[in-house]
Amino acid sequence: MLWKKNSSRRPGLRAMTSDLRTRLLLMLVLPLCVLALVGVWLDYRSADEAAGQHDQRLVRLLPALADSVLAPPIHDNDPPLLLLAPPIEDFLRQNAGFAAYSVRDTSGRLLLGEDWVHSGVPTTQAPEFHSVEFGGVTYRVAAQRGRTGAGELVVALADGSDPRQKWAQQLLLRVLLPNLVLLIAAGFAIHWAVRQAFKPLVGLAEAVERRSPRDLSPIDEAASPDEVRPLVHSLNRLFALVNAQAEGQRRFVADAAHQLRTPLAGLQAQVEAWAMMAKAAAPPRTSFPDFDRKMPLAHEDRAQGAIVLGVDQIEKLRNATRRTSQLAHQLLALSRADARSLDAQPPQRVDLKDLCESLLETFLDAATGKGLDLGLDVQPVHVTGHGWLLRELLSNLVDNAIKYTPPGGVVTIRCGMRQGRAGPPRPYVAVEDDGPGVPEAERTRVLQRFYRVPGAGGEGTGLGLAIADEIARVHRATLTLGTGPQGRGLLVTVVFPL
Amino acid sequence: MRLLLVEDDVMVASGIKLGLTDAGYAVDWVGSGERAEEVLRAESFDAAIIDIGLPAMDGLELTRRLRRPDMASPSMPVLILTARDALHDRVQGLDLGADDYMVKPFELPELLARLRALLRRSQAATTAVLSFGPLELDTAGRRASMRTPAGEQVIELGPREWTVLEYLLINAPKPASKDKLLQALTGWDKEITPNAVEVYVSRLRGKLEPHGVALRSIRGFGYRLELQAA
Repeated sequence: MLWKKNSSRRPGLRAMTSDLRTRLLLMLVLPLCVLALVGVWLDYRSADEAAGQHDQRLVRLLPALADSVLAPPIHDNDPPLLLLAPPIEDFLRQNAGFAAYSVRDTSGRLLLGEDWVHSGVPTTQAPEFHSVEFGGVTYRVAAQRGRTGAGELVVALADGSDPRQKWAQQLLLRVLLPNLVLLIAAGFAIHWAVRQAFKPLVGLAEAVERRSPRDLSPIDEAASPDEVRPLVHSLNRLFALVNAQAEGQRRFVADAAHQLRTPLAGLQAQVEAWAMMAKAAAPPRTSFPDFDRKMPLAHEDRAQGAIVLGVDQIEKLRNATRRTSQLAHQLLALSRADARSLDAQPPQRVDLKDLCESLLETFLDAATGKGLDLGLDVQPVHVTGHGWLLRELLSNLVDNAIKYTPPGGVVTIRCGMRQGRAGPPRPYVAVEDDGPGVPEAERTRVLQRFYRVPGAGGEGTGLGLAIADEIARVHRATLTLGTGPQGRGLLVTVVFPL
Repeated sequence: MRLLLVEDDVMVASGIKLGLTDAGYAVDWVGSGERAEEVLRAESFDAAIIDIGLPAMDGLELTRRLRRPDMASPSMPVLILTARDALHDRVQGLDLGADDYMVKPFELPELLARLRALLRRSQAATTAVLSFGPLELDTAGRRASMRTPAGEQVIELGPREWTVLEYLLINAPKPASKDKLLQALTGWDKEITPNAVEVYVSRLRGKLEPHGVALRSIRGFGYRLELQAA
């Protein structure tokens, strides 16, 4: 799982390994080429040396051949009298089939031996060497002009076992081909070795790449290959540091939100009570002394004298207080929805239908009070997750729908199984309204914390959708914003994994 | 109705007391668990609202103690107030004998609604009379009646209508789901269809609506008893 191969992304690492592969190939193949060339040269040198020795042997034999011509011919046109000296006989016998001789006169006419063993007539007494092709074999021919028993003649010896000729013939097959094969094999070996050597690194890179920015859990060090273990160790240390910092921040937000709630509870209880009484009081304007009559607890307030507040002002005050309380609550929820703080709680089976029904009950009065038709369209469906978080998710969605849908509108909470573009049907919940909706261009931004659509009234905090999105993410579900079925309003859908 | 409020935060306490008093309840306020225990030993109340985060003896401990038989009203409904909203606290609170809980800060109308629901339930358990506005259902005598300015008027109900109305009354002001109503009715008929529920609801509407009690349909869910605006 951790080292699973996945090649579609990461151009960086891919480029890096291919770059490295090229460099390694160059660095290793070039010396190999040089080595091969040196080998060829050395081979050639030793062949050359052997050939030199070979030539010397032929040269040493030439006088013996000359000596073998004992006397001029008895008749004209007859060959001179020849009696092969023992060294020549040995030579011919030893190299049977690959050795020959010839004796010519100074004009180049063949007197004795094979005609193809010729080399032109040397002008000096020095031995001359040539290569002669005959019958598919290259022969080394040594010729010398010298005195013989039949006067000045040209004697020549041919030897087909010439190492230089053989070397030239075998150069391609014996020397270059193995080197070439070696080079190609080395190329493949390097290619493969680089890939193998970088597999752990590529795997590690993928493992890091796949992480969400919220997932800072350590990489399994024991499961990492030895080569990258130090790197994994350092990464884990970095994760831990970042984790600690993020955790500190999260805890601060949670603590701050939590601490705010006690004074807010006091404030809200007071303001709510005033608002209730103000509403109950028959005249539209009411005042503090009027409250004080019914307020046996509020002696401390009375001592400071009285001010007069209108019903609408108290309503405003109450709404602001409710909004502040909601903000504190949402901040707390947001910090709790954090994946790291959820590790301790095992996910449970959550009945989405039950949840939707319970939310309907919770929001029924608010919806009725605003003149909205809040209803359900639910099928029995379960998901695995954190019930209180999913409740928070849905309640933010329903709360938004109720806030932003004008009176007379319709809000529907749905859940069930939905057929996606691919794969089996998946569980979903959705909240749909026929209010103003969210313009397409704003849809990604409304999921950001504290972002509010410009011009949208209501009393939102800009956190509701961010919380819903965060909770969906924690459940590996996807939250999408769309347009309601009649082409207006907002449809928020959360599709869960199976 | 006499209520006991146990809350150490003066702001919260005075606000709640103000609201409850305005809604017509008699409220006694104490600031600590120990004092509350003393009061509860001697005097009886219809319900208690208890904050969890009390200074010495916390609200959960107080809830546990007030259920003891030597207390004046061990079976009264208890609504817990908490600034902690973790699931754990909720479960613990309800295990220890609290009937409902609310997370601070809260909206006063909701506190009142929940209190009313708690009181209705405890009342039904003791007196066997369910009431909603002018409507009264005497479950012991199986008698439904309406209080009208002209006096009490008996409403004749068939057995299935009675079952539906009783279920709606027990749940009021919360809505009752059609599924649950159907389940309640299967005691009468094995093979009852959802349409049957609609039939009984529409019959009940005919009998209740002239007296100002409405049976509102909740789309996709069920029905709820509501008082018609005068």
